[in-house]
Amino acid sequence: MKRVLRKRLPRDIKENFPRYLALYLMIAVAMYLIISIVGAADTIINGTVSKANANLVEDGHFTTFIPLEAYQEELLTNSGAIVERMFSADAEMPDGSVLRVFGERKTINLPHIDKGEKADNMGEAVLEKRYVETHGISVGDTIELFGKNLTVTGIGCVPEYDMPLAETSDMVVDSSLFGIAIVTDEQYNELVNDDVTENYCYAYRLNNSLTHNELKEMIKELDFDYNKVSNIYFREMIDNILSDKEKLQDGINEIYDGSKELTEGLSELESAGDSIQSGTDEVFSLYLSQVNSVISQMGFTETLTKDNYSEILDNYAAMTGSEEIAALKKALDGLKAYTDGIKEYTDGAGNAYNGSKELSDGISELKSETDEFLDEVFELDIANLTEFTEAQNDPRIYAAANDLITNKKIGLLAGVVIMILFTYVISVFVIHKVQSESSIIGTLYALGAKKSDLISHYITIPTIISLAGGITGLLLGFSEIGIPIQMKDTYNYFSVPHLEPSKPLYLMIYAVIMPPVVSMLVNRLVISKKLSKSALSLIRNEQTTDIRGRINIRKLSFINKFRIRQTLREIRTGLTVIFAMLVCLLIFMLGMNCYTVCNNIRNDNVEYTKYEYMYTLKYPAENPPENSEPCYIESLSKTNMGFTVDITVIGIDDTNRYYDTIPVKGRNKLVISTSAAQKYSLKKGDTFVLTDNAEDMSYAFEVADISPYSAGLAVFMDIDSMRELFGQEDDYYNMLLSEEALDIESGRIYSVTEKSEIIRSSGIFVNQMRGMYTMLISLSAVIFCAVMYLMLNVMTDRASFGISLVKIFGFRNKEVKKLYLSGNTFIIAIGALITIPLSKLIMNTLFPSFVANTACGVNLKFPTYLYAMIFAAIMLIYFAVNSVLTIKLNKITPAQVLKNRE
Amino acid sequence: MYLEIKDVKKSYGKDSSHIQVLKGISADIEKGQMCVIQGTSGSGKSTLLNCIGGLDTMDSGSVKVDGKEIFGLRPDEIADYRREKLGFIFQFYNLVPNLTVRENIEVCEYISENPLDIDELLDVLGLTEHQNKFPSQLSGGQQQRCAIARALVKNPALLLCDEPTGALDSKTSRDILILLEKINAKYNTTMLIVTHNNSIKNMVHKVIIVKDGLIKKDYINENRVPAAELEDL
Repeated sequence: MKRVLRKRLPRDIKENFPRYLALYLMIAVAMYLIISIVGAADTIINGTVSKANANLVEDGHFTTFIPLEAYQEELLTNSGAIVERMFSADAEMPDGSVLRVFGERKTINLPHIDKGEKADNMGEAVLEKRYVETHGISVGDTIELFGKNLTVTGIGCVPEYDMPLAETSDMVVDSSLFGIAIVTDEQYNELVNDDVTENYCYAYRLNNSLTHNELKEMIKELDFDYNKVSNIYFREMIDNILSDKEKLQDGINEIYDGSKELTEGLSELESAGDSIQSGTDEVFSLYLSQVNSVISQMGFTETLTKDNYSEILDNYAAMTGSEEIAALKKALDGLKAYTDGIKEYTDGAGNAYNGSKELSDGISELKSETDEFLDEVFELDIANLTEFTEAQNDPRIYAAANDLITNKKIGLLAGVVIMILFTYVISVFVIHKVQSESSIIGTLYALGAKKSDLISHYITIPTIISLAGGITGLLLGFSEIGIPIQMKDTYNYFSVPHLEPSKPLYLMIYAVIMPPVVSMLVNRLVISKKLSKSALSLIRNEQTTDIRGRINIRKLSFINKFRIRQTLREIRTGLTVIFAMLVCLLIFMLGMNCYTVCNNIRNDNVEYTKYEYMYTLKYPAENPPENSEPCYIESLSKTNMGFTVDITVIGIDDTNRYYDTIPVKGRNKLVISTSAAQKYSLKKGDTFVLTDNAEDMSYAFEVADISPYSAGLAVFMDIDSMRELFGQEDDYYNMLLSEEALDIESGRIYSVTEKSEIIRSSGIFVNQMRGMYTMLISLSAVIFCAVMYLMLNVMTDRASFGISLVKIFGFRNKEVKKLYLSGNTFIIAIGALITIPLSKLIMNTLFPSFVANTACGVNLKFPTYLYAMIFAAIMLIYFAVNSVLTIKLNKITPAQVLKNRE
Repeated sequence: MYLEIKDVKKSYGKDSSHIQVLKGISADIEKGQMCVIQGTSGSGKSTLLNCIGGLDTMDSGSVKVDGKEIFGLRPDEIADYRREKLGFIFQFYNLVPNLTVRENIEVCEYISENPLDIDELLDVLGLTEHQNKFPSQLSGGQQQRCAIARALVKNPALLLCDEPTGALDSKTSRDILILLEKINAKYNTTMLIVTHNNSIKNMVHKVIIVKDGLIKKDYINENRVPAAELEDL
């Protein structure tokens, strides 16, 4: 039986060749795209990681104020970390771009040379490939670095600048503005003199005996002799810090010296007090003796003492009425009062001496403690380590691989979803065929055929088509127009070595096995029930009325009743069209979201960048230049969905001219930008935790407000609160904004960004992603057109008998169209109304994970008219398909009923 | 004459597969007549019916219905002709499976300017209680009655019946024929019934016997037998 049935297969294929060809091509194209996208992702992921490892990519890097001493480097190495200098200096090129110049690399981050040779001699340089491509430089060309002419001997890339961002906080790669040059150490030393700001960066690789944190702690504890720093701006900063320390110490010293002098003075005073006291006592005694002598001459016998003279003299004076005695008493009283006063004074002087001695001891202790404290505090503040970044937190390392992991996952998943869709489309044809051959199947059953034989028979062609489509897609994907083309996007953005496309076994299995297996499963599932009827039932082609038919629609007009019945009858096909619409819209929304995000970034950057110049400063001057707005920025990081992205904390005051944001006072209060709110789904009152990787500190901020700002991932703080939080002085700043170029010594500047550069860089996203979203949007439109045509076509085929019948009754073509085609308008319209927002919702939920590694907001808002346009486009496609089907419908003749009868 | 058929010729295929199905058939049928076209399989009787109904094209000849020539009409004119004049009844009913009995009848009511009352038709055809059932829930006789109701709702002047009892048992066949007889009497509908059944010719006004694409014999049946009394159905 099987052998006999098999003979039908080529005839069936021949009979329905256009339909099967269309399905084969759709599967082939879909598999081609998926294989090429996933293959490219796989090649990049494995290739870049493998090359990076081969080129001894760093495990991390750190920067210091001044270079480590040789013994310190040795100490780190002996402790389990291979450390190599990656010193660099940024050379401004005549076109305004920057080339970051490095010396040779020997053990870490070795360059990969794609063209030419490495720079072995003076006067030679290797340039980073993206910069070279953007600037049209070739091997053998001459470039000028720091006033010296160098010959380009090689073009390549380095693993730590896989994504060649100048700063890790940069949003987008702009190779027209930034690149890398590698020269010999000797050449580097000649180029980079004292006038050039040099970045002291060290790359490290760990062996198993040391962790990142342990290494960081070790670096922090290394001795740092800041007196050796020669950079004038760094010296200025150190001097400022030290002058503060000295001022404090001088003040304490003065207090200490004063208290010491006071103690000594009081000591002298106390010693002098005893002499005065004994002198005055002696004077009083002498005067009392004289009074005793006078009153004895007057005949009085009593002897006067210091304690009794007052009472006795008062009695004598009263008895005699002598004024002399009264005068003597008065003189003695005065003398006694003076003596007592002297005593009190000398006692006080003694107490003061004791107190001043205690004060002096206390101040001495204060001085000692303060000296210790200042040494500790100032030592900590000027630790040599300025930045410590593990490779996994560096967005520039393994960037291409990280970027494509999502592509790979989505590609593989999308392949299965699209295959299910196509298989379902095929299954509609299979069901149609099974139904139209019902009586034949019944007859075959009656002749002894088994259900399994028939299932095998009916799923054979779909399986063959899926297999053929899969194999064709695989071959195309693995060809020159497959993986290599998809890799171009990566090559055009990332700085990665040239890689040979990989052809992994799992992709071959995926492309060859998955489509036929999915096809077999889906088709088997859908036709199994159809083939489970009895032979007689099949021979009679008995139609059963399921729940769909029992819907009570008697009160509707005939046309509406007919359309509803027709819709219910073709519900499977209708749902397939809606499912296809959803799948296509998901692909479309992915493309549109790519475009929207890129476009919004470009527009937002233009709208929200109100300054013309932004200076970030390594060594800010004491006072900001006139006409500039000083701000304080810190770069913290946020890890989300496995990717770490830099977040710029901008400290501003209420009157800042360039930001509309009003900061909220408080050390834990943040006003976040709308871009940050969108990316991390934050709202007012939420807690937003940011990390300072260098300091191993996490800060939990409260989202005090959301400010309409979308130029990059920024959050705002009140500048005073921020200075307080990060331990900076009251007038500290490290960023200047202005409307005109500022006159700042170049040695103080870390980077200068002009608005025009920002605008140009923002446009790169749009250009970079154009190929991607054009492909996605086109692909979705093609699949949708094809599936809609095939499905509506099969609906028409299935309805051809009915169409023929009503034509016999005298229905005109317009009326037939109204009955059989116009009903689809409602399905498509309702389907579109449901699937457009649904697909947008699903894609909006998924999309942030696709750009989790990009430091940008995820503003996915479409203008409302765009939804209307999508709806209009769907309806337009539908009406176009409808027009084609109308021609087909008009060609259906009444004779079809007769054919069926015969 | 209501229906005038003159020298109708029809062939299929080319060269070696060329078959001349109708070799020049002529016949006249008056208004309100019931006429049977009888013949063996392959005689050309159904092809003739299809040509009259505009379902198939003639190679040559003429078919006039109520004085209007069918030959050479454009497809939209043919559609209007069928819409205004004809009703069709088929051997296998050809009901729309996903429409109820009433809805199947409404299909033709929709395109008719002066349709008959559906409730009355349902009553006449004994389908009132089945009007909300789907074809799959009906017996063969009920389905054929539904097909008749559908054909009649337009109140056609000419009813073309292609083997209307071909798929029915004897009793049901008789019921259907009684019904056709009744309709003919009630609506004065001209009927052309194609059949290979030898008994049906006894109930109609005129009989045309076709053989090998030619009319072998045609005659007026002077001794009509009511359908209820037909034998060997």
